[in-house]
Amino acid sequence: MGPQSRFPHVPLPPRLSYSLREDLMTQHIPEAVFWCLAVVTLAGVSLLVRQYRITAALRGRLTLHEAGLLAREEEVRHLSEVRLPALVEAAHGSAPVPGPLDADLAGTTYGKNLQQIVEQFTGAAEATRSRADRSAKATLKAAMRALQALANEQQVSISDMQDRHDDPDVLRDLLEVDHTNAQFGRRAQAIAMLCGSWPGRQRAASPLVDVVRGATSRIRDYRRVTVHSRVDMDVVSRAVEPVVLAVAELLDNAARHSRPNTTVEVGIQAAHNGVSIVVDDSGIGMDARETEEAGRRLSGLVDIDINKLGNPPQFGFAVIGALAARYGFSVSVNTQSPYGGVRAVLFLPNALLNRVRFMGPPIPGLGGETPPAPEPASPGASEAAAAPSATAGGLPKRRRSTQRHQAADGGPEAPAADPALVRPAAEAASRMGAFARGTRSGRDSSHDTEGTPQE
Amino acid sequence: MTPPRPRHDRGLVRPYVVTEGRAHPTRNTLDLVALVTAVPDRPLNGLSPEKRRAIELCRPGALSVAEMAGHLALPMSVTKVLLSDLVDSGHVHVRPPVPKAQLADARLLQEVLDGLRSRF
Repeated sequence: MGPQSRFPHVPLPPRLSYSLREDLMTQHIPEAVFWCLAVVTLAGVSLLVRQYRITAALRGRLTLHEAGLLAREEEVRHLSEVRLPALVEAAHGSAPVPGPLDADLAGTTYGKNLQQIVEQFTGAAEATRSRADRSAKATLKAAMRALQALANEQQVSISDMQDRHDDPDVLRDLLEVDHTNAQFGRRAQAIAMLCGSWPGRQRAASPLVDVVRGATSRIRDYRRVTVHSRVDMDVVSRAVEPVVLAVAELLDNAARHSRPNTTVEVGIQAAHNGVSIVVDDSGIGMDARETEEAGRRLSGLVDIDINKLGNPPQFGFAVIGALAARYGFSVSVNTQSPYGGVRAVLFLPNALLNRVRFMGPPIPGLGGETPPAPEPASPGASEAAAAPSATAGGLPKRRRSTQRHQAADGGPEAPAADPALVRPAAEAASRMGAFARGTRSGRDSSHDTEGTPQE
Repeated sequence: MTPPRPRHDRGLVRPYVVTEGRAHPTRNTLDLVALVTAVPDRPLNGLSPEKRRAIELCRPGALSVAEMAGHLALPMSVTKVLLSDLVDSGHVHVRPPVPKAQLADARLLQEVLDGLRSRF
């Protein structure tokens, strides 16, 4: 593209030399303009490209931020709609609480703030829950203590009525009322003790058989329970009522979860460092999840939330667990019974047992010592030995432990009226005892007079 | 003789468990002052603790039903149920009290006397 063609209408001057110079100059102007224009165009293009790049980068960042914003919105929505309700629900069941949606967000300040919110919420929910639990327990405890007191009072009057009325028809009705009242009292007592109350009544140390039968008297199907015991030991006074209550809950479970025509077998077995009370039922048994949950409750280690016991509430295992933890016995239900149902074992350590049996007030003439009964049939022997062998009229009385006495005094002349001849062994023992005591006291006093210089 | 105080706590084992829910004795011949004696050498296996205690109580000699109830710390009617069971199973004998001599009705005698007087 030449300058002529660019400016074709400009006329050339007539003088050539001058015009040649002129021509040369006029030829340079469009070139300069051209270069200027080229530079300007170049600059504009590069600016445009740069601008385009900046815009593209900005657009990218905008999209990124929009996505981030959306993710955060989604996260907050997830928090408010899913996670926080789940945290609230977790109080009622053990459903897992879902985590945050976007794992990348968790590392950012935003994610940490969200986590802090969740923690604060959890803390507040926990505090509210424990406060509600405490107040529910306090209310329940007070209410149940009142009911328990009424049940006890009613039991006393029922006992009085049973003593007063000799009519079998009246007695039958009274027994029914008594039975219902005992179940009522047990329920109230169990709930009160779960809520941290004391047993509410103190019992004397009682034989294991009576403790189990006491538990039997507090359940609905008491006729289906059979007790087998070869153990002759007492439960210490402070543990009687808790053990009765725990065994009653086990028996109630066993009877409730088996067919009405089956029996619930209770065995009392001595162990090296305690006694086991074994309750077998022929019921439906428990699956693995139920067994695990029962074991958790029976351990007594977890703090039982009474709002979580279901509807209607299942107090049984929770009560047993609380009692076991407080009084130091243990209960397990994770074995299958040979009868097909559940075998529950309550283990009483020696600390809760009296191995030495107190047989009532000491019998005069035997020095207060009752020999341990070797077999179940023989506890009467000590009474027979203590009894005079003749009546007031001088007539002989039958004695059980004749072999022992005959060996000593020759049998036939034993029924003489003198009790000294009848119990020579006991008499001799008491005389020897008296002699020994006399000697000891004599020596003690003489030592005292020697040892004290002022006398 | 004073038999050992029953160690069991009253109220722990309720009477319906002792009688297995029955209120009616199998025999109604038991009187308060009827005397109970144990039949010697009967096995005590399978008896409830109350029944064993009852047999042990009357082993040394006869004991009245009322005394038995007192020593067992059980209501009278419950004791009767227990004792009738023991009589049925052959563990104890119950000797009914000697009945009082039947005296004629005084009113009847008076009427007879009045009649005789009015007649003669």
